[in-house]
Amino acid sequence: MAAENPAFVLRKVKDVAIEQRGVPKLRSDHDVLVHVAQTGICGSDVHYWQRGRIGDFILNSPIILGHESSGTVAEVGPAVKNLKVGDRVTIEPGVPCRRCDYCRQGAYNLCADTVFAATPPWDGTLQKFYPVASDYCYKLPDQMDFEEGAMVEPTAVAVQICKVADLRANQTVLVFGAGPIGVLCQAVAKVYGAKKVVGVDISQSRLEFAKSYGADEIFLPPRLEGDPVEASEKIAAMIKEKCGLGDGADVVLECTGAEPCIQAGVFAARKGGTYVQAGMGKENIVFPITTACIRALTIKGSIRYTTGCYPSAVDLIASGKIDVKRLITNRFRFEEAEQAFELVKASKEGVFKVMIAGVE
Amino acid sequence: MHNASCVLYGPGSIQFEDREIPQLCDEHDIIVRIAYVGVCGSDVHFWKHGGIRTMVDPQKGIIMGHEACGIVHSKGKAVKSVELGDHVAIEPGIPCRRCKNCKDGQYNLCKAVKFAAAPPDSHGTLTKFFRIPEDFVYRIPPDIPLEEIVIVEPLSVAVHAVRLVDIRPGETVVVMGSGTIGLLCGAVAKAFGASQIILVDIIDRKLEFAEQFLPCQTFKPLSNASPEENAAALNKAFGIDDGVDVVIEASGAATSIQTGIHVLKSGGKYVQTGLGKPNVEVPILTLSEKELLVRGCFRYGSGDFELAASMLVKRQLDFKSLISSISTFEHVVDAWEKTARGEGVKNLIKVQD
Repeated sequence: MAAENPAFVLRKVKDVAIEQRGVPKLRSDHDVLVHVAQTGICGSDVHYWQRGRIGDFILNSPIILGHESSGTVAEVGPAVKNLKVGDRVTIEPGVPCRRCDYCRQGAYNLCADTVFAATPPWDGTLQKFYPVASDYCYKLPDQMDFEEGAMVEPTAVAVQICKVADLRANQTVLVFGAGPIGVLCQAVAKVYGAKKVVGVDISQSRLEFAKSYGADEIFLPPRLEGDPVEASEKIAAMIKEKCGLGDGADVVLECTGAEPCIQAGVFAARKGGTYVQAGMGKENIVFPITTACIRALTIKGSIRYTTGCYPSAVDLIASGKIDVKRLITNRFRFEEAEQAFELVKASKEGVFKVMIAGVE
Repeated sequence: MHNASCVLYGPGSIQFEDREIPQLCDEHDIIVRIAYVGVCGSDVHFWKHGGIRTMVDPQKGIIMGHEACGIVHSKGKAVKSVELGDHVAIEPGIPCRRCKNCKDGQYNLCKAVKFAAAPPDSHGTLTKFFRIPEDFVYRIPPDIPLEEIVIVEPLSVAVHAVRLVDIRPGETVVVMGSGTIGLLCGAVAKAFGASQIILVDIIDRKLEFAEQFLPCQTFKPLSNASPEENAAALNKAFGIDDGVDVVIEASGAATSIQTGIHVLKSGGKYVQTGLGKPNVEVPILTLSEKELLVRGCFRYGSGDFELAASMLVKRQLDFKSLISSISTFEHVVDAWEKTARGEGVKNLIKVQD
């Protein structure tokens, strides 16, 4: 029986379609097969669809899209102890090799041989069934539904960003970007005891949402004429003044990847502060490096997640500390996946997190 | 016998048996022909008492030995870092790779670890052929004599201790205990830039050896003085004002632990590497008032064997001088008894050519 496994496939750039694939086999005794229930769409999915590459990851052959998913365990490998058929789970979509130096050191997010859903050449979760290592699947508490389960992934990204920033209680945290990652960072920072969380965005409606979510204060940068870097420095000064950040924020989380925000972020960090780059935009930008030097900033990059992020994210949602339901604005059936992607691509106001239901 | 193995059944009771030759289980595996095995205090404890926390199962027995080196005999398809015939050092504890500790970079704390010679059934290296995954094997160039490669394992313990206590260039370090581990901790401390290293022991012969082996000074505490008095005497003898920056405790002895706490400066750092009694009295008030950083230390983790191997390969010290005797495989008990009597520094067993 060639059991059906409908899959949403990126065949080549800008060319997606639903295809029938075989049901994936378990890849090892420690794998489980998940019947996918919900999948959120991420900017990276849209980027592969439109551009076919992110950095060194290049689309050379068709891949199934999707990596932010939840579902029900449909099959367990013989060595699996932590899960059984029927368990409701959220999926951590990147399984590393477990043997290289990065893995052994505890930085599995840096493993070059990671099998990551929907990063070429690996298939993603927008298919009926998805195989994954059982220790990269986390049970959902009863009070969490599958949509919330699919929101664990971006929440875990935010948890990792805050971990990289080494957030401590009573710090001031300035977050650039009020998209899903930005607002989740604001919310996590607040839960982790930040004294003040400031959200910055160029969209008034997103800022208003952020203010109702995790941000204590919000700021809409004005359009300024003249030299762009000087403009960024002026904006940083305005943020510090208007939002009461004194010499600067203890921590800056840059969740846009936009050059003016990156610059403003460096200018708005206090001396000795920490700046974390989470957003991805242009690969090379003009960076105020002398300011970073003179003000002795610690500058770090954040990518994906490490040990403990998924359990923390599940706990933040399950305990009600973070309400991820409020981030979901649009819902589609599996057959409508392409429409869902088109909606995300259109970047309309009012569209925030878009969910695609799994195949029944 | 094809795979003669030294099996312990209980205190003082061993048999040589022909155990099943291990096969490659997956593409990452390597089978090593064991050449030399070193003797550790824990081996002696097993020989005398039948185990440490978990006793040997008298039905199954346990193949002894965990400090080993050998020659690559066969390898799985995915193995790239070694070729057949390469000389290798073995890291003898295989973690599960799936639990929180493993994924968080502390695989030495994995509860499901399979450590060589750990009852009931994680067999050791006193055998002709031993299976180990590629990432737990370290290639050593052929110009290093095989027997010296055994030193990489205890040297990794020393590397782990020094990294945990974060020795920085210019610091003063006291190492309590001048046995193999203490000596190697001194060597690693030097490699990490310690400006002054003082080895402490109660046995003159060990201190004399330390002075030859290391660039270090030595100190012998008085048996009729208190730990506080001995600590003060040490600092005075070396003109150290507030106290030393770092103490590596490599003996496990209660008075030594106490002296170590007292000899530290305020804000100093201490690492417990030595294993002795499970419960000892500690000058906890002094520890608090001086705001000391005190860390436990267990085996070795990511990067430790690599660094130890590179120290051996760079001939940074005369590691050969640590090898005091080599017994034949049949006379393994001689090696254990010598170590039990405190003879020599590191006693080895030659398993095969």
